Amino acid sequence: MPGNDTPRAASVWRLALAAIVRHRVAATILFLMVFPWLVPYHALAINILIWGLFALGFNLLYGYAGLLSFGHAALLGVGSYGCGIVIVHFGWPWYVAILCGIAFASAVAYVIGFLAIRTRGIYFSMVTLALAECVYYIFYKWESVTGGENGLRGINVSTINLLGFEINFLDPVNKYYVMLGVVAIALWIFSRILASPFGAVLETIRENDARAAACGYNVANTKLMAFVLSGAFCGVAGALRALHLSTVPVEVLQISTSGDVVMMALLGGFGTFFGPFIGAAVFQLFGDVLTLWTTHWQLYLGATFIVFVLFFPRGIWGSILHWLRVAKS
Amino acid sequence: MSDILVAEGVGKKFGGFVALKDVSVSFARDKLSAIIGPNGAGKSTFFNVISGAFPASSGRVTFEGRDITALPTHEYARRGIAKSFQITNVFPQLSAHENVRVAAQMQKTRYNLWTPRARIRELIAQADDLLERVGIAAKRNSVARDMAHGEQRCLEIAMALACQPRLLLLDEPTAGMSPEETVRMMDLIVRLAAERTVILVEHKMKLVMGICQQLVVLHHGELLAQGSPDDIRANDEVKRVYLGQGKH
Amino acid sequence: MSGITLDLLLLQIVTGIALGAVYVLVALGLSLIFGMLAVVNFAHGAFFMVGAYMGVWLFAQTGNFWVCLVLVPLGVGAIGLLTERILVRPLYGRGIDYPLLLTFGLSYIFVEVVRMIFGLNGIPFSTPQGLTGAVDLGFGHFPRYRLFLIGATAVIVTALYLFIEKTSYGLIIRAGARDPEIVRVLGIDVSKIWLVVFGIGTGIAGLSGILAAPLQSVTPEMGIHLLADAFVVTVVGGMGSLTGAVVAGILVGVVVSLTSLVSPEAGRVSIFVLMAVVLLVRPQGLFGRTGALG
Repeated sequence: MPGNDTPRAASVWRLALAAIVRHRVAATILFLMVFPWLVPYHALAINILIWGLFALGFNLLYGYAGLLSFGHAALLGVGSYGCGIVIVHFGWPWYVAILCGIAFASAVAYVIGFLAIRTRGIYFSMVTLALAECVYYIFYKWESVTGGENGLRGINVSTINLLGFEINFLDPVNKYYVMLGVVAIALWIFSRILASPFGAVLETIRENDARAAACGYNVANTKLMAFVLSGAFCGVAGALRALHLSTVPVEVLQISTSGDVVMMALLGGFGTFFGPFIGAAVFQLFGDVLTLWTTHWQLYLGATFIVFVLFFPRGIWGSILHWLRVAKS
Repeated sequence: MSDILVAEGVGKKFGGFVALKDVSVSFARDKLSAIIGPNGAGKSTFFNVISGAFPASSGRVTFEGRDITALPTHEYARRGIAKSFQITNVFPQLSAHENVRVAAQMQKTRYNLWTPRARIRELIAQADDLLERVGIAAKRNSVARDMAHGEQRCLEIAMALACQPRLLLLDEPTAGMSPEETVRMMDLIVRLAAERTVILVEHKMKLVMGICQQLVVLHHGELLAQGSPDDIRANDEVKRVYLGQGKH
Repeated sequence: MSGITLDLLLLQIVTGIALGAVYVLVALGLSLIFGMLAVVNFAHGAFFMVGAYMGVWLFAQTGNFWVCLVLVPLGVGAIGLLTERILVRPLYGRGIDYPLLLTFGLSYIFVEVVRMIFGLNGIPFSTPQGLTGAVDLGFGHFPRYRLFLIGATAVIVTALYLFIEKTSYGLIIRAGARDPEIVRVLGIDVSKIWLVVFGIGTGIAGLSGILAAPLQSVTPEMGIHLLADAFVVTVVGGMGSLTGAVVAGILVGVVVSLTSLVSPEAGRVSIFVLMAVVLLVRPQGLFGRTGALG
């Protein structure tokens, strides 16, 4: 009989994957805890953490609620600026700054979402792109507050006072684990939301929003809530990025950032929990590894993306899950 | 008022085409009623207006005395009116149980962001109970789009029941069903009508004559007749329309 | 706000119409492709950019601007035909997001290929001979090239209108937009129509690229900046409506031009304010309908 061992091996993988999916938060955090030791340098791990969280926030809106936003750069950027501005201009502590980043990003998400959701579905991607471009322009010109084209500088957080311990934030390993703490909390909250009744409503809207309305759900309000929540998670990512780079480059608000997160989410797997981090990792590696061979790595990125759209729309993690026939998380 | 749903002078135009003209009907509470008429009579259009799929161009619709003419779709289920669609409309990738459970959770927990829904036993039990009532409890874990046509239509009814409606609107519930499935569906409808008002749209006269207490006959978008099955049977106009091709 | 005379206003309006001309052409292509194929072409800005570069290159080879104006839409349209046939067609039926994502990925490739061939920096494209200088309009001097641009756009719009409304092929396109099933049942190969429409849409984008080239720096990124503006015009005009593309394009151009009198920043932000107002008041766009042309 061909492949005698394969059924047993496959079922072991299947069991392992089922366990990972059930305890997705713990599994993800566990993986992320050892992650810095798996990558060539620590800044890469930090980047993947931040972009992974950004992609997770994006995924809430697209993978779970079915709304394809091409304006998420605005949410990441406003999160960064919100955090950075209160540190640079008011001198507030880092944890308050992160909350400010979340608040600002959520507010911008509300405004963009309110306008974008009003329209027919096909306009959503276009409107979010255009409104994000507007946000970019405003922040670019508002030099006194944002630093204009030079970006916001001077977000200097060198030590973190955590529960009485003084942590040197400039050490990349320390920085990673502090950020992982924040990301872990965010992941836990994210998972709770997905598992909640509201999470079920999001899925129904993605599946069949006419049916959801017939059941009594206010589809527009639910979409707007999803947008604001997405903004909150992207705001966390933005705030962390500001703390990591000590600056906010104005390029974060450009269309390319919105495009980047869409790519990451697709590569990893729309509508999966772990996919965004895998997508972020692949994307960062593309940028870091391919640049060693060619300056035209965006060509290969675009080509890879097209290949995925045509043949692997489930993304890497989504395809793995599907292949082992475990329900998507 | 013993009339649960009242349509007054309802009209509907699509561009230049007049689908409904000045239809005034009252549906009595706790009765099983049917909207019948030949193809193209405007039955589905009328159904869509009273169920909130789109608003009337003119006229008024009231439910339990309150005006619902311009009500947004999602308010209907919240007010106690539930419907099933003419072309089966469920959540295709969710299981049958989840389809019903999510319909049931609308009333109590829709904005709950925190509690794992797997732990809200009340809703899980309610969903199972509804699946049992419509007869598809065995298909609890099947993915909705993989279910047989008749089962999907039962699933839709279970979802409609989940919001505990006082008025149930069913659009051609037996469409596409085999004779056995049709009999089962009509039995189910009679049982459901014992506890609430049910209004059907049907174009098979035979099915509704025996079980409905009130019939509304539409023709070319206008009200042709309304009354008990006996009234309708004795109505010459109706006979002419159904048997004599109704040339006007 | 002193010094704003009627003459200045008129001049700004004509400037706005010239600005709007490019918007009209780009939005026409977008709306045409969407109305017929239900595809939001996120590579539209890239096709525009490719048209500009193709024009620059052809001009360097031939020295004849008019020849370029003929060859560029053909060339870019050919790329469009290949794109539809090979990349976009497999995705029909998978939902509107997939062609959108695919064309988005395609734009990365176009931009990078252009960077590889022509370098990262912009290429200047000077106004062609015979179209330089200014014309006295009575209320002020206006660049001759911009007048040409307005004229060329009017010609293209008229030609497109005649094609769609008056020819039998155009009739098939209109019919297909309203009901692809009927067209198929009548024995007409719908896929060929999709191919042609995508080619025409992208061809117009390419043509607008070379027409716009003398007015702005020809850079690999020029299409990205244009995309946001093109989307605003389409949302304001109504997706799928050609009349909407024309009206909204001119409207946006004039609004930008007039608000620039207040400040350049106001000019840039005004289009987003316009879009927001339209979204609040008439979300389907000024001429928007469900997926129909016209």
